[in-house]
Amino acid sequence: MEFFERFAIPHPSAPIYASMVAIGLTVIAIVAGLTYFKKWGYLWREWLTTVDHKRIGIMYLISALLMLFRGGVDAIMMRSQTAIPENTLLDAQHYNEVFTTHGIVMIIFMAMPFIYALMNFVVPLQIGARDVAFPRLNALSFWLFFMGAMLFNISFVIGGSPDAGWTAYFPLAGNEFSTSVGTNYYALALQIAGLGTLMSGINFIVTILKMRAPGITLMKMPMFTWSALTANVIVVFAFPVLTVALIMMTMDRLFGTHFFATTNGGMDMLWANLFWVWGHPEVYILILPAFGVYSEVISTFARRNLYGYKSMVASMVGISFLSFLVWTHHFFTMGQGALTNSIFSVTTMAIAIPTGIKIFNWLFTMWKGKIEFTVPMLYAVGFIPIFTIGGVTGVMLAMASADYQYHNTMFLVAHFHYTIIPGVVFAMIAGLTYWWPKMFGFMLNERIGKWAFWFIAISFNVTFFPMFFTGLDGQARRMYTYSEATGFGPLNMLSFIGALGLAVGFALIAYNVYYSTRYASRNISADPWDARTLEWATQSPVPAYNFAITPQANSSEAFWDAKKKGHELFKGEVQKIHMPSNSGVPFIMSCIFFIWGFSFVFSLWIPAILATIGIFICMAQRSFERDPGYYISVKEIKETESKLRGA
Amino acid sequence: MMELFPRKQVIGFGFSLLLTAIALAVYFFDLSFTAGMTILLVTAFVQAAVQLVVFMHAGETGDKGSIYTNIYYSLAIALVTVFGTLLCMIWGYV
Amino acid sequence: MKIDHSLPLEYGTDQNQLNILGFWIFLGAEIMLFGTLFASYFTLVDRTGSGPSGAEIFEITPVLIETIVLLTSSFVIGLGVHAMRIGRTKAMITFYAITLLLGLTFLGVEIYEFMHYVHIGAGLQVSAFTAILLTTLGTHGAHVTFGLVWGFFIILQVRKHGITPETANKSFIFSLYWHFLDVVWIFIFSFVYLKGMM
Repeated sequence: MEFFERFAIPHPSAPIYASMVAIGLTVIAIVAGLTYFKKWGYLWREWLTTVDHKRIGIMYLISALLMLFRGGVDAIMMRSQTAIPENTLLDAQHYNEVFTTHGIVMIIFMAMPFIYALMNFVVPLQIGARDVAFPRLNALSFWLFFMGAMLFNISFVIGGSPDAGWTAYFPLAGNEFSTSVGTNYYALALQIAGLGTLMSGINFIVTILKMRAPGITLMKMPMFTWSALTANVIVVFAFPVLTVALIMMTMDRLFGTHFFATTNGGMDMLWANLFWVWGHPEVYILILPAFGVYSEVISTFARRNLYGYKSMVASMVGISFLSFLVWTHHFFTMGQGALTNSIFSVTTMAIAIPTGIKIFNWLFTMWKGKIEFTVPMLYAVGFIPIFTIGGVTGVMLAMASADYQYHNTMFLVAHFHYTIIPGVVFAMIAGLTYWWPKMFGFMLNERIGKWAFWFIAISFNVTFFPMFFTGLDGQARRMYTYSEATGFGPLNMLSFIGALGLAVGFALIAYNVYYSTRYASRNISADPWDARTLEWATQSPVPAYNFAITPQANSSEAFWDAKKKGHELFKGEVQKIHMPSNSGVPFIMSCIFFIWGFSFVFSLWIPAILATIGIFICMAQRSFERDPGYYISVKEIKETESKLRGA
Repeated sequence: MMELFPRKQVIGFGFSLLLTAIALAVYFFDLSFTAGMTILLVTAFVQAAVQLVVFMHAGETGDKGSIYTNIYYSLAIALVTVFGTLLCMIWGYV
Repeated sequence: MKIDHSLPLEYGTDQNQLNILGFWIFLGAEIMLFGTLFASYFTLVDRTGSGPSGAEIFEITPVLIETIVLLTSSFVIGLGVHAMRIGRTKAMITFYAITLLLGLTFLGVEIYEFMHYVHIGAGLQVSAFTAILLTTLGTHGAHVTFGLVWGFFIILQVRKHGITPETANKSFIFSLYWHFLDVVWIFIFSFVYLKGMM
């Protein structure tokens, strides 16, 4: 019995028990459904073992949407708790858990897979490649991310959720103040997912540097590919920092070291430092691909080529380097003195320059364009003013001395939601709607999509704009309640109403997926938006080999040139195509990683050792394996092509 | 037998042993902190460069540009991280 | 599989070139990994709590042995790659085997060093300094250990299949890894040990 007690929730409540039951029932339903419809083989052959970048992209997408739901529920719970003063819907402990998991889930398990979903699907197509450079590694990246996400999400039904904030500052995150295993989950789940992300980073850099079709020089790459390249450069150099910081955290919590302790020389500030050395570049990992999406969407629907291509590239490269020079602005109030703060204050403000350049380039692209307000374009146009508010308040926060007033208030919360939501979430929805026909062969309904946009855009401002005021009035973030005398009540109620509106908006998107899956026409062309880049030059949905003939490009908008200027994209004859074979090892290895992580969370050393051995066996298998791949014959390609063209 | 020991690599090895010996000066002689650190910084980075160029063949293919950019970029960011951390954790408080 | 003969065998196929560039970028990430460890080390080096300082526990003899052994192994694996390029399979395997033996020696001395530290009261849990010292050294040591197993697998594969584009590629990438560990050790030797004993 004693053994099992460790898995109990330290702070249970009715909703948690209800979720346990719900999770149990869902698992049973999935297993029963797969068995009843005899889909186990299909699932294994087509999805769990796939190394196809398009399918991996779609799996990222599904995970991201699931996590968006989870993080969204957390958000609604927070807003309802603070809707009225002295509310008792959640107690302090639950509120701590909810804001912690909201942050982690949204950043690491929603936004990250969402950008990797789009990158996976789009980047190889935009550069005319067959797949990514290391397809098998790509599958491993996805499954590691997925298992990390699952490990994190079971925390609230087994052993307790992390509750020290998504930043998990020490000494709060140490054993003394975070006694449950929640923070162990944080360390291990992020570690596993982070390894996957690092591998993706390497994979995409090599893909983009080495696998471009003939004619696509670096300065003729579509802007989304450029944004993917710069973002992945940040990934490769930022994630090792997180790896080290998490190792140190794990050792402090499990092996009694004193890295971040307050005794025996430990330094709690070092955690905050390392966390943000990774954490700030992480923000730009999210925003750069979003900028890439906007560049594609805006030039497509303004019917003009992107204004200032070179300055766009230069500003992204600049941002990717500057992103490593600013991290201290997250803890200006820690006391490192005026000189240090001034240095980081200046570098922080400097980032506004390349970002501003990009904003103006988008505006100039739209200038005199024939703008068509489709759903993706609505999000792109909506993004510019809202994001600018986020950027301007960011410069306010960048002034170190003024930051003493804003630090840790709702003003900050409003600021970063004003950057992340229009910056990342809008972009992801825009990208999703834009590339949906390429992924699935039908379009999302425009009318429902526009309703969803207006709900989201307006509700977003209703939710977060009041926080600027309550923050300046002194409402601290992460407080589970406040007294009536503070006067924060009405504005917080407004935020709650906005949050409900956001929920309606996202529900509309979900409904749109359902509605369009049922009713949308499958009879669409391969290029329904009249777009400009190479991914639209192949069939929809995209065949396994992407392009029957490797395309030849002459500019960053090769497909547009092919349509309007008579550029010949596909020269030569169809030849047999080499493809990588599927493999179950990435999935199995990631399952072992899950067991490994789980064992560490609960200090179960024997399973932990066994799992470690299992991981090494998987790696040895890969070393000795000889995998020549397989070929798709010319006949098969021609059949597929004519079938897709006919449909 | 001789063809198994290319001149360039043997010289490189000799040079790296020499650099190690120079670095040891900070242990055997009573140098000031500045002098000692200068010696260590110079020998360590030269040593790394020797490995990179002589042994790791960093510049022998068309990917030379990518490889060197990658190394310089990561080195730059690593140095920023080290010195920035020192600035925020130690020097800022003096 | 198309093989380009204008380049050494390890670059011969497209996939080989991808692998090598990918590994270089991985090494970029490793530079950041060790960079972070160094940043933490320099921050915590004087925070010894009630435990000993570096100057009190470092000894020059094992450190010098480790340094010379690792430098030599890095030279030897360079010879191994050279032998591979001139097609001398046997010589290559010999050089790789010597490399691994030297690696094993390094590891043995490092394990002795660790046991010595624990013995004289500088174990992992004593202070922030001992924790970051042993973590930095241990991360490097874990890389060496991993490399020993990996290198052994590669020797087995070269013995079985000879020098092919695939095995040459793997062997070359392994040599990059091994040289990199040597570079990291140079920095540990200079800025952990020598600076500590200065």
